[in-house]
Amino acid sequence: MKEPQIIVCAKQIPDPEAPFSNVTVNVEKKQVAVDAPDVISPYDENALEAAIRIKEELGGKITILSMGRKVSDTVLRKTIAAGADALVLLEDPLFEGLDSGSTAHVLSCAIKKIGDWDLVLTGRQAGDWDSGQVGLIMGEMLDVPCVSLARSIKIDDGKLLVEKSVPVGYEMVEASLPALVTVSNEVGELRYVARSKMLGLLRRPMSIPKWNSKDLGCDIDRLKKLQLTELVPPADMGRQCTLIEGAAQDQACRLAEVLSELR
Amino acid sequence: MIPERPMFWGIDYSWLFYVIAFVAICIFAVGVGIHISVWRKSKSKSNTSISWQAVKQSLLEIVSGARLFKGDIAAGTAHFLMFWGFIILLIGTSLLAVHGHVYSFLTGTTYLAFGFFMEIGGLALLVGITWSLVRRYVQRVPRLERRLEDAVVALWLLVIACSGFLLEGVRLAAQRPGWDEWTALGPMIAGFFPQAAARSIYPGLWWGHGLLCLAFIAAIPYTKLFHLVGAPASYYLHHSPVTLSPDPEAAFEPGVQWDLAQRAFLDACTRCGRCVEACPSAGAGEPLAPRAFVQAARQSLWREERPAGDIRFLLDLDPVEDRSAWFCTTCGACLEVCPVYAAPFEAVGKKRAMLIEEGKGVPDLMNQTLERLFNYENPWVSSKRDRAAWAKGLDVPVIKAGGNNEGFCYFVGCTTSFDDRAQAIAVSFSALLKQAGAEFGILGDKEPCCGDIARVVGELGLFMEKMENCTELLDKFSVSDIVTSSPHCFHTFLNEYGDSSFRVRHYSSVLKELLAQGKLRPQNRVNATVTYHDPCYLGRHNRIFDDPRQVIRSIPGVKLVEMEHHGADSLCCGGGGGRMWQGQDIRGEARMSEIRIKEARGTGAGILVTACPLCLIMMEDALKTVGYEGEMKVMDLNELLLQSLSNG
Ligand code: SF4
Ligand code: SF4
Repeated sequence: MKEPQIIVCAKQIPDPEAPFSNVTVNVEKKQVAVDAPDVISPYDENALEAAIRIKEELGGKITILSMGRKVSDTVLRKTIAAGADALVLLEDPLFEGLDSGSTAHVLSCAIKKIGDWDLVLTGRQAGDWDSGQVGLIMGEMLDVPCVSLARSIKIDDGKLLVEKSVPVGYEMVEASLPALVTVSNEVGELRYVARSKMLGLLRRPMSIPKWNSKDLGCDIDRLKKLQLTELVPPADMGRQCTLIEGAAQDQACRLAEVLSELR
Repeated sequence: MIPERPMFWGIDYSWLFYVIAFVAICIFAVGVGIHISVWRKSKSKSNTSISWQAVKQSLLEIVSGARLFKGDIAAGTAHFLMFWGFIILLIGTSLLAVHGHVYSFLTGTTYLAFGFFMEIGGLALLVGITWSLVRRYVQRVPRLERRLEDAVVALWLLVIACSGFLLEGVRLAAQRPGWDEWTALGPMIAGFFPQAAARSIYPGLWWGHGLLCLAFIAAIPYTKLFHLVGAPASYYLHHSPVTLSPDPEAAFEPGVQWDLAQRAFLDACTRCGRCVEACPSAGAGEPLAPRAFVQAARQSLWREERPAGDIRFLLDLDPVEDRSAWFCTTCGACLEVCPVYAAPFEAVGKKRAMLIEEGKGVPDLMNQTLERLFNYENPWVSSKRDRAAWAKGLDVPVIKAGGNNEGFCYFVGCTTSFDDRAQAIAVSFSALLKQAGAEFGILGDKEPCCGDIARVVGELGLFMEKMENCTELLDKFSVSDIVTSSPHCFHTFLNEYGDSSFRVRHYSSVLKELLAQGKLRPQNRVNATVTYHDPCYLGRHNRIFDDPRQVIRSIPGVKLVEMEHHGADSLCCGGGGGRMWQGQDIRGEARMSEIRIKEARGTGAGILVTACPLCLIMMEDALKTVGYEGEMKVMDLNELLLQSLSNG
């Protein structure tokens, strides 16, 4: 079998793990300001880890695809340091704030432009909006088999074998290639990228193709912005501590009561 | 008749003996040379002038066997007997050669005294080696391994000692000298042999014994016996003030980073297992074996530096699981007990650096913690802007950049800044400083992370970055005098920052000073029995054992009792070495902190005092999980002292 050509879609977002006091919600402007560095969406990192493991076993090439108004290659170069081979950035002012269908359209155009590929991996959902739709819509647009919520991915004898998480346990799914898989966190965290490696990489010049809507030839009329109708800030996160005394069993009963009262 | 020993009595071809001896010594020298060549491949340069002070210290340690008696009198004595037996016999045999070929002096009383000392030497060796064998194979002391090498080396020595006595007896039986030797064992053995029989077996026995001895010498560099050379080298290198200048090019290549001294330490390790016995992680049933790490590090170093491979031929080692590297708390207990100053935690550290570089096998929580440390300058899920939240409303002076700042900088540190429990350290210490009228200031939300965590988990690149950030910031704020909450920050500034221009102290030393100067006068009685837990990075790593104790003793009403493990033998709380941020990802059968709190409770103390934010958190948690709440309290030294001072 030829070595698999894998494309991983990675979204750059403000760190969803940012400490609470770094996040401010502006209800009027319907904006959430996060004072935190940009990172790669965590599920996309899981997808990359899955891709690297396949590459470690079978060889091949991993291309990272990232879309946005302005994408930082310093953030995305982490993927190269971790084990990806190439980076393609999709940049255009038009790409800002797109809804899931439009995002899927742009990404599919880019994948078609890349041409030679066997497997597309995306995170199960992005760490900012948590919509979880782009991957599935892309599967449809690319007209390939699509498996969601993978907890393990293997390519065996030209076939795709995926363990798909379901509420209890998992299903084994077999599909032909090319295919698209959305990856869940059970796959495992992206391997650690040492600072020394990262710094070394940042120092090295690298040619990173940047494609805009024209290069991709995508249908501009199809690009729709996400419309936010209302933004509701979370209730004030005050802390209150109650100690439940007594024997273990009484404590457990009382705890269950308290929790159900709070619901 | 004048008592003396005829050289090569009854032995033909005696010249052959010298030929074989020469060959044996050559084999020995080649082996030692190969070791030295591996040591010299170290990339860090060291100065070469000899330090006589270090020579003196090393000789003293070698002659007294002091490091071997430490914590294990039985092993120390057995080794002492073997060591001196071996030395006496070696010197005696050499004297005999001098007597035979250079200057004959072993006659008359001198000869009889010589025989007496040789018997003492032989007996010491025999008793020492027998005792060691009993400890290993009969008593089966848990820390001792029973590998092929251990058996071969010990039995070899035993056979040498026994055959020596037998030879002596047979010689006396054959020779029938006309005087009484000043020995007991020889004549006794002689009684078993008729003269004729003795005469016929003597030469064979002589050659057998001689060849065994020479082969033994030849085998030294190729077995764990190499410590005969390695240990003195380690002692010297440990004591000598060599300034090692690490090769900056090699800074990011963890594999080749072993410096000369570390290489000698690795080769000197005898697999004695004292480190395993002292290791709190191994003691809690976790899969960490410091000895195995040292041996694995040694083997991989040899593999790297010498394509022809290792020259130890009797080694059969178990593979070391990479995962176990994450269990070490870097507490330093292993170094404290190691007879040859090997620091197993350094071997663990290098393994960690390699795993970090590869990226695989880094525990998930550690991975996230390092990301956080990079993004938010602290290992907790906290925002830099909340760094001085503990000081809200307390009117703590804040140091201004470029300003005229009086006094010292109180470097609060990440854990003390963000953890609910540990914040009490900052609150009470700053209250004490204000009562004492001390000039100080904090850096507020500008305070950086010193980078300690990155260093101990092997993320050396990130540590360098943190160090640069931190030095730059301290420069900007013209800070030249630092006092830390955490022994970890203290250690990092003091020992890991290279030539830093600032003075660093831990708060316990400042408290001691303020008490001595009479600026703090504890008055309220605190009627309590307290015990003190030495934080590893304050005590063992930086030898500050007494300052905190003096502070405790200054409080009226307080009775200080010691735990079994205290001072340099303190037991780690389990929070160091990055363990604090690995949660339950990794754990053994018991928690180190629970083992420790039980020991503290055993003293009958009502308060466990400590002087480190990590210890405070670990012990407080253990107090709850073990169920001692209400019976006992865990307090920081500042909190305790403040009780005897505050007016409310
Ligand atoms: S490292 Fe030291 S204490 Fe540990 S086995 Fe080796 S010689 Fe013994
Ligand atoms: S530093 Fe402490 S935990 Fe680490 S190996 Fe040594 S004794 Fe064990």
